[in-house]
Amino acid sequence: MSVVRVENVTKSYAERGAVTTAALRGVDLSVEPGEFMAIAGPSGSGKTTLLNLIGALDAPTSGEVFIDGTSLCGLSPLALADLRRDRIGFVFQAYNLIPVLSAAENAEYVLQLQRVPRAQRRARVAALFAKLGLATMMDKRPPKMSGGEQQRVAVARAIAAEPAVVLADEPTANLDQAAGRALVEMMHELNRERGVTFVFSTHDPMVLAQADRVVRLVDGKVAADERK
Amino acid sequence: MDALLLLAWRNIWRHRRRTLINMSAVGLGLFLIITYSGLIGGVLGDAKNQLDNIGMGHIEISTPAWRLKHGAGMVLAAPAALLARLALPPGAEVGVRVVARGLLTSPRGGVGVTIHGIDPAREPAVARYAGDIREGAQLAPDDVHGIVIGDELATRLRVRLGHKVRIMVQRADGEMGAALYRVRGIFHAVVPAIARSRVLVTTAAAEELLGIGDAAHQIVIQLGRVDDAEPVAARLRAELGAGYDVATYGQLLPVLKALEGLQNGVVVVMALFVYLLVGLGILNTTLMSVFERTREFGVMRALGNRPRQIVALVVAEAFWIASVSVAAGLVLGLAVTWIGSEHTLLDFGQIFGESMQIGGAVIRSALRTEYSLTNGLKASAIVYVLTLGVGLYPAWRISRLPPAEALRAS
Repeated sequence: MSVVRVENVTKSYAERGAVTTAALRGVDLSVEPGEFMAIAGPSGSGKTTLLNLIGALDAPTSGEVFIDGTSLCGLSPLALADLRRDRIGFVFQAYNLIPVLSAAENAEYVLQLQRVPRAQRRARVAALFAKLGLATMMDKRPPKMSGGEQQRVAVARAIAAEPAVVLADEPTANLDQAAGRALVEMMHELNRERGVTFVFSTHDPMVLAQADRVVRLVDGKVAADERK
Repeated sequence: MDALLLLAWRNIWRHRRRTLINMSAVGLGLFLIITYSGLIGGVLGDAKNQLDNIGMGHIEISTPAWRLKHGAGMVLAAPAALLARLALPPGAEVGVRVVARGLLTSPRGGVGVTIHGIDPAREPAVARYAGDIREGAQLAPDDVHGIVIGDELATRLRVRLGHKVRIMVQRADGEMGAALYRVRGIFHAVVPAIARSRVLVTTAAAEELLGIGDAAHQIVIQLGRVDDAEPVAARLRAELGAGYDVATYGQLLPVLKALEGLQNGVVVVMALFVYLLVGLGILNTTLMSVFERTREFGVMRALGNRPRQIVALVVAEAFWIASVSVAAGLVLGLAVTWIGSEHTLLDFGQIFGESMQIGGAVIRSALRTEYSLTNGLKASAIVYVLTLGVGLYPAWRISRLPPAEALRAS
């Protein structure tokens, strides 16, 4: 069963009352478990909109989105919140760690929402940080960390609860070349070793080169779906 | 500590200066309310204080005729038996008085006075001046030749301890009555009119002077709770019947009741004004604090926070601000009102004398505050609820924002 299935999805935004802008125009897509997939396309092609719809952060104008076979259409806000918590991991372009929490506390955040006992979540996060080479960062707060370090902690936060899919919106956009390369390599390693499914948007050729599958969006439509 | 409260605590210190200003505004507002109500209470005093100053009761019992004419013969017969019939609430203080008007003379002159024949053991509980003996001593219960007079009267007539004075009255039988008394003590009264025109003798001495036998004119009752005056008076009226006049202080001294209303009204209006300012201040800073973190709340929604968990976080932040600022305002307010209740803050005595009397109500010139833990806690509870309530609005607004929209916020 596909982790993500998008069926004939459109999304329009009303602007200045009457004028509407179509961000997505009938997108069909499915993501299988363990894929390392990039969504590519120029600015305004609908990459972030598609990720928002897959991530249950927004609702399509028409069409349907399924996560693990469950249609998001008609789910209550509470059910959507629980689905995001349990099945989806997010990595944002601007890292978006909670600045008053330490790196470890940020990574524990979703586990805490899942009511995982404190000792258990501490142990899981410690093991994860050790695996990702972040062991020395555990007690650091985001303002004291570099962009690359923050984004690696953001990845740790996204995978700590072992979601069905991790959605990353241009995760390397704010990083320099070296940090960006290191981050994508880390994500790819997690994909290969742990089978974590990644779907990320990017227009960075270096990142695209690492992806196993590249879906190209142009003007809100899938223009190409390339598998390596 | 609960993770939500810990996160909220850290959040409020992101902008240390803003949080401190916000807390100061709430704490200062509460401090002002406590201090202001303490000041008003200290100047006017409560009804019991007021009545103590002038020797009135929350309830007074006499014959209906005496209330109107104050005739010497208009007496309550066998007052001890009458008193035994009254089932008064615990904590009530009672004074039984013989009251007459007469002329007090000394070798230096004479002056019209009000003579109170009292039980020296009971009277200080219902009349503060009766216990505030500045020179000499209180009357002995069986002293039928002693008298205690006010300090201003003593000065005016140049009378000292041990001097003899003469009182002349109209007796119950209509004849003139007179007797000599030796000054045993000089009392001080806050109210100048009492200090210069009231004299105290024992009940026995007054009964003999007026020729009324074992009788009295007035039973004065002070209750533990001023609010009990009306219901207790109503019950006593029903028990005693038409032959007795049972009046509350509100009927005898309407201005005191009006002043109570004014005092409460002024405090309420002032408190509402401060509450409004505090509320608007908190709303402003909470809105600012919440909406500048819109994107962060969007991230939290994306990570799986439910809308009510977002509300709980914002309210938890308001809880911390309320807790710290209310604690500070309460401690400060209680400290200042306690100090003000122990020491005079300002004294306008040189301008107004020791006190001013307005329609029978006494206003002291020495500015003191009333210390009231209950009032402080009440005001604190209101500010606390207000602060938490005001935090709900921005919390509700931000929790209803769709996550994608919140994430787009710059």
